[in-house]
Amino acid sequence: MSNSADVVVLGAGPAGYVCAIRLAQLGKKVTVIDQAEVGGVCLNRGCIPSKALIYAGSLFEKVAHSSEIGIEVEGAKVNLPKLMKWKDSVVQKLTGGVASLLKANGCQFIAGSARFVGPKVLEIKTSTNTQQLTFNQIVIATGSRPTLLPGFDIDQKQIFDSTGALSLQKLPQSLLCIGGGYIGLELGMFYAKVGVKVTVVEGGSGLLGGVDPDLSKVVAKKLEKLGVSVHLNSQVKGCRKDSHGKSIEVTWTAGGPEGKPESKSESKKEKKSEFEAVLVTIGRTPNSDQLSLNQAGLKVDSKGFLTVDAQRRTSVSHIYAIGDIAGQPLLAHKGSKEGMVAAEAIAGLKSAYDVVAMPAVIFTDPEIATVGLTEAEAKAQGLEIRIGLFPFAANGRALSVAEPEGFVKMIGDAKTGRLLGVHIVGAEASNLISEATLALEMGAHIEDLALTVHAHPTLPETLMEAAEATLGHAIHIFKPSKRE
Amino acid sequence: MQFRLPELGEGVHEGELIKWSVKVGDFVKYDQSLCEIMTDKATVEIPSAFQGKVAELHVQVGKMIHVGELMLSFEGTAASVSHAEKPSLPSNSIPSPESHVTHDSQAQIANRTLAAPSTRRLAREMGVDLLGVKGSGPHGRVMKEDIRKEEIHSAGSAVPVRAGISERVLPGPAGEEKRVPFRGLRKKIAEKMRLSKDRAAHFTYVEEADATALVTLRNQAKDIGAKQGVKITYLPFVMKAMAAALKQFPILNSTLDEERGELVYKYYYNIGLSIQTEDGLMAPVVKDVAHKSVIELARDIQGLVDRARNKRLTLDDLHGSTITLTNAGSIGGLFATPVINYPEVAILGLNKIVRKPVVKVINGREEIVIRDWTYFSLSLDHRVVDGAIGAEYMKLLIQYIENPSLILLDS
Repeated sequence: MSNSADVVVLGAGPAGYVCAIRLAQLGKKVTVIDQAEVGGVCLNRGCIPSKALIYAGSLFEKVAHSSEIGIEVEGAKVNLPKLMKWKDSVVQKLTGGVASLLKANGCQFIAGSARFVGPKVLEIKTSTNTQQLTFNQIVIATGSRPTLLPGFDIDQKQIFDSTGALSLQKLPQSLLCIGGGYIGLELGMFYAKVGVKVTVVEGGSGLLGGVDPDLSKVVAKKLEKLGVSVHLNSQVKGCRKDSHGKSIEVTWTAGGPEGKPESKSESKKEKKSEFEAVLVTIGRTPNSDQLSLNQAGLKVDSKGFLTVDAQRRTSVSHIYAIGDIAGQPLLAHKGSKEGMVAAEAIAGLKSAYDVVAMPAVIFTDPEIATVGLTEAEAKAQGLEIRIGLFPFAANGRALSVAEPEGFVKMIGDAKTGRLLGVHIVGAEASNLISEATLALEMGAHIEDLALTVHAHPTLPETLMEAAEATLGHAIHIFKPSKRE
Repeated sequence: MQFRLPELGEGVHEGELIKWSVKVGDFVKYDQSLCEIMTDKATVEIPSAFQGKVAELHVQVGKMIHVGELMLSFEGTAASVSHAEKPSLPSNSIPSPESHVTHDSQAQIANRTLAAPSTRRLAREMGVDLLGVKGSGPHGRVMKEDIRKEEIHSAGSAVPVRAGISERVLPGPAGEEKRVPFRGLRKKIAEKMRLSKDRAAHFTYVEEADATALVTLRNQAKDIGAKQGVKITYLPFVMKAMAAALKQFPILNSTLDEERGELVYKYYYNIGLSIQTEDGLMAPVVKDVAHKSVIELARDIQGLVDRARNKRLTLDDLHGSTITLTNAGSIGGLFATPVINYPEVAILGLNKIVRKPVVKVINGREEIVIRDWTYFSLSLDHRVVDGAIGAEYMKLLIQYIENPSLILLDS
């Protein structure tokens, strides 16, 4: 059985489905193939369900700890199966919406796994048959999956990856998070808030690698408050499950908590600790290994990513790649942007991926959101910079919603006054970063942010004040002037 | 410190600034390309003769700039004088409009051209390189109007019109019409042709020639050339014949200096060769034809053709012709009436060679025989060369063509 299509979009995640819809808007006949549900990891097993859980965790924490502002609640408890059901309903609403959008735009959807058998031919295995599909152009948007850790086989019962951790039906007593990156901390914090004793083991010297350490410190403080024990410079060696499926003994070598190296003799020593559950979040691997890409004349780089040009075209001119498989950063919104660019390029428009500002958000408590150059990156580029800090504790809105932790850190070019980067840790950081992103994308100067009126009392005032601070004269913090 | 436009080559005093390759704040190394300048010969990249940071650009894209004119100011060190060699690399190739868009977006946060995403999209659609646009907005921000203005300006730039970049298909009074910017090499050709026809008093003289001996000789030479990796065409033979005949009629190898009211006779024979390229007609020069062998000429011609097709011709390649040869016959046609490569006074057209029955007197009897036959067309500037002189030159030239061994007698 052989069929033909004009444009195939392989993968229906946030890169693929956006690409497919834009292609359809531009008059292309589109066939979308995904082995699982529409919406990809993001909607089904990532961003969306995790945010639902994180919201619930924060709500529970607030409800249980609001006596100091006069809200006294007794007997608050978490009904995990019900919470999971609600989370699933959120996911279903969204995926249902995407499916109907694809349909309304005339995109054909095939549920099946695909691999190349030639540069313009796919073999698709569905639940009922195997068919071949020829096409003129293809966009590969197959995304990524959690990286496996040897010695810790994921069973989703005792040892989870992020997928399993989003669907637990019973809370474990204790949980070991292997990996102190954003996924591990987002989920680890949720479980800590709903009463699980959480331990984080991170191989590197700091949490949230790549994030300005000034920001991750604020999160580390909250982890401590939640009773999460954090071990940096530490490695897990292996594990042994007990026969009842009740506990796992993990062998590991410990560095010091919070990066303080323990004495040499101790740090070499292997420890054994027991946990009821283990969550492995050590990174993500691109889904490029099961597509027989060599049949299409494509090669991946050493990390399994496809190399693409400004139009997101691969080395084979009729094949495009977008989203996680097209390389860092592995962010849904980066994939969506690439999806639009690739679709427009296929339709013959002069589109190009010329993004200046790529925001990243982390839903820890407090949230972290960053865009542009960090202090370290700007210095590495040899730029002379000015830094402005403004604490949430000096913002009326932050205080009145009982969220005084965190700050805005703004980086500007000392010579030109241009905005280079904005880094926020604090309440609603994820919602605050868009203003900074727009400013960067438009090429704003720090002054532009400082001179723009910001509504009072709101959290975005922190951005205006940080801009003023960068220029040396924030209203709501006092800085004694230097005296000779 | 200041950087001024260096010498561009003999007889070239000015050029149009097509594109800045650097911008204010950039750190520039020795020999790094600073900008592209289009002269009436070719587009050249101007290499940096200094090392340091660009402080200010003094010339706007689209402006004519003269040798010695202040181009940019920099903070750094100038190279020694010997470093300011003449620019070596002309190119008609342009970077793709996206080329300045680095994938590593982080790198461009500090030093990019200020422009909103919508402006960047417009620039892409119109094929305008943001780097070359002077922004009229605050802090030099490029506004949409700047892009539109740039598009009109660059009508005179060397950017070859490439399909799809700024073509617009529009509805016309009687159906669809397409509007394509008329610029780059095409525009230069238009200007040169117009100048030639305006100034020179063209007339064209055509004569037929028996090329049988030439064909035989060329076929023999072809195999010898092939062994040396040289493709031997008719052109080197015709050039040798031209040069030999020019020695008897030096006025055809002259130029008219109208400003000074002098006729300049040239006793070297540099023959320009019209070559059709993707972007349009070019006329690179085969130097010193009189002193080169047929094989040497063939090798020179092959090199020029390759460089022309690959857009790698140097200024030197394009400079210094005294007369021009155009091979009009490679496609077909009976004969052409070539346009003089002004300020030269003559251009020879080589037309197609066909086998043809002709009447010949053999042993006192008329017979019809098959000969390789061709026409030569010679366009002359009648202000300088009279018809009779042209006809005599042609007669001598054809004598060499019909009896190529006579070229050996020339010295």
